[in-house]
Amino acid sequence: MKKNTNNDIKLGIFISAGLLVLIISLYVIGSKQNFFGSNFYVRARFANAGGLVPGNNVLYSGIQAGTVSDIEIIDDTTIEVTLLLNKKIKPYIYSNSLVSIGNDGLMGNKIINITPNSTPASHIEDNGLLMTQSGSNMDQMMQTLSYTNENAMAITSELKETTTRINNDNTLWTILDDTMVAKDLIASVANLRASTARINEMTTTLDLILKDIHQGKGTIGTLLTDDDIANDIQQAVQDIDRVAVSAEVAIRTLDSTVQQLRTGMTTGGSMAHTVIGDTAAANSLKRSLQHIEKGTDRFSESMEALQHNFLLRRYFKRKARNEKGKE
Amino acid sequence: MTRFIGRYLRELVNPRYEVRAFIHQCYTIGYSSLALIGTTGFIMGLVLTMQLRPSLIAYGVVSQLPVMVSLAIVREIGPVISALIFAGKISSSIGAELGSMRVTEQIDAMEVSGTNPFKFLVVSRVLAATLMLPLLTILSDAIALYGSYLGVNIKGHTSLQLFFSDVFDALHYGDVMPALIKTFFFGAAVGLIGCYKGYNSSKGTAGVGLAANSAVVASSLAIFIIDLLAVQITDLLGLN
Repeated sequence: MKKNTNNDIKLGIFISAGLLVLIISLYVIGSKQNFFGSNFYVRARFANAGGLVPGNNVLYSGIQAGTVSDIEIIDDTTIEVTLLLNKKIKPYIYSNSLVSIGNDGLMGNKIINITPNSTPASHIEDNGLLMTQSGSNMDQMMQTLSYTNENAMAITSELKETTTRINNDNTLWTILDDTMVAKDLIASVANLRASTARINEMTTTLDLILKDIHQGKGTIGTLLTDDDIANDIQQAVQDIDRVAVSAEVAIRTLDSTVQQLRTGMTTGGSMAHTVIGDTAAANSLKRSLQHIEKGTDRFSESMEALQHNFLLRRYFKRKARNEKGKE
Repeated sequence: MTRFIGRYLRELVNPRYEVRAFIHQCYTIGYSSLALIGTTGFIMGLVLTMQLRPSLIAYGVVSQLPVMVSLAIVREIGPVISALIFAGKISSSIGAELGSMRVTEQIDAMEVSGTNPFKFLVVSRVLAATLMLPLLTILSDAIALYGSYLGVNIKGHTSLQLFFSDVFDALHYGDVMPALIKTFFFGAAVGLIGCYKGYNSSKGTAGVGLAANSAVVASSLAIFIIDLLAVQITDLLGLN
């Protein structure tokens, strides 16, 4: 009897475990397909369903949100897809959210992607219609790949032609075979490297100089940064301005004088005309000046004679001593 | 055989029900087979994973290993292998037991004593086999998937949560329910064939051995035929 009871307990555990595994499995599978919990429907219309079948997954921003419930042909250009979505994501789906058909991996099943739109809109209603956009499908990818292949073929063809021409060109191979060219090239590279190093040094030095100038060091730095010098220069410029004004006035005066002189020469009544234009008067003036010069020379001789006269000799000696004492 | 099945169905619905005999057979047929079928399931899950892995690596889809293994185990390998093991253990056991009872005239004695030997011996065994094989298959599938998880982690690393998430992502009711339903038919076939062969065994010790042997062979063949029919039906229903 006791053995029967033990067997019954074991059998009960066995059956319970089996049923528990079955129930949990069915619940998990069902919840993955939104068979449990509250759901709602939305619709989307496509021109091409692209192989979509009921049961395909629906992702909202990459998160599992539901499954494709039904696919119906509305007319020859419109396929209506009904989506069964989890009610938890309803607050995040707006009427302008975009629906597209994609692939779950390169070789995976078709999926529906719902992408939120940045522009504001009202929440989607039950059985509401969402906007669609055409996603990338395999045909488009193949077309792009075909175009790329054609380009690659053209490029390789040209590359082949270029390579053939290079192979048939003796000049290039002569250059490549010439060891002197290689040596020259190495030397050129070495020179280039040395030049680059020197340019680097120069750049560093120039940078230091610019830093010094910026900090006001040196003549140029002082010129560029010292406010006093700037003020002095400004003052000098103002003085130059004033001098220029004065010079302009002087030039005008001189111009006026020259004008008067010219007028006088033209009219003949002036002293200048007499001196410059009248030859007899000029000669007379010349003779008068000669007479004055002769008179001055005789006056100098007379004064010399007076210095040696005994009456005035003491006076001149005393004068000479006084001048010497002052020096 | 047809008359045997017809009598079974009549006796199944007619009272009085042999509940105690049925529970005892559930223990003998179901619980006693769990260790064997569970071990087989574990090995199948592990081996299948390790065999599939190199091929999937070659195609660059090794991440799909849980998906492929789960579909293979739940849809086909779990039910069929469990049923074959079940047939090897239970059908031969039932055939030999009933054959011995027939040879030793215990069945005739039951009829003389007023007990319905068909209800007591056949109905309880067939019903127990019909109900226990699905439970054994469910547990075997679960153990096989755990074996597959260990197989995945022998040369790679996948968390238990990710593995079973992939498994349940891949599975749908269309995968689980047909597989579960056909195990009822597998169990019924194993029980019916075992009982038929044993109940109708010829006299003599050779008849017992022949009943046990032919019960296993016929049960195994019946399992494959039922599986073939089940696949055709699920295909017609669009569940594949």
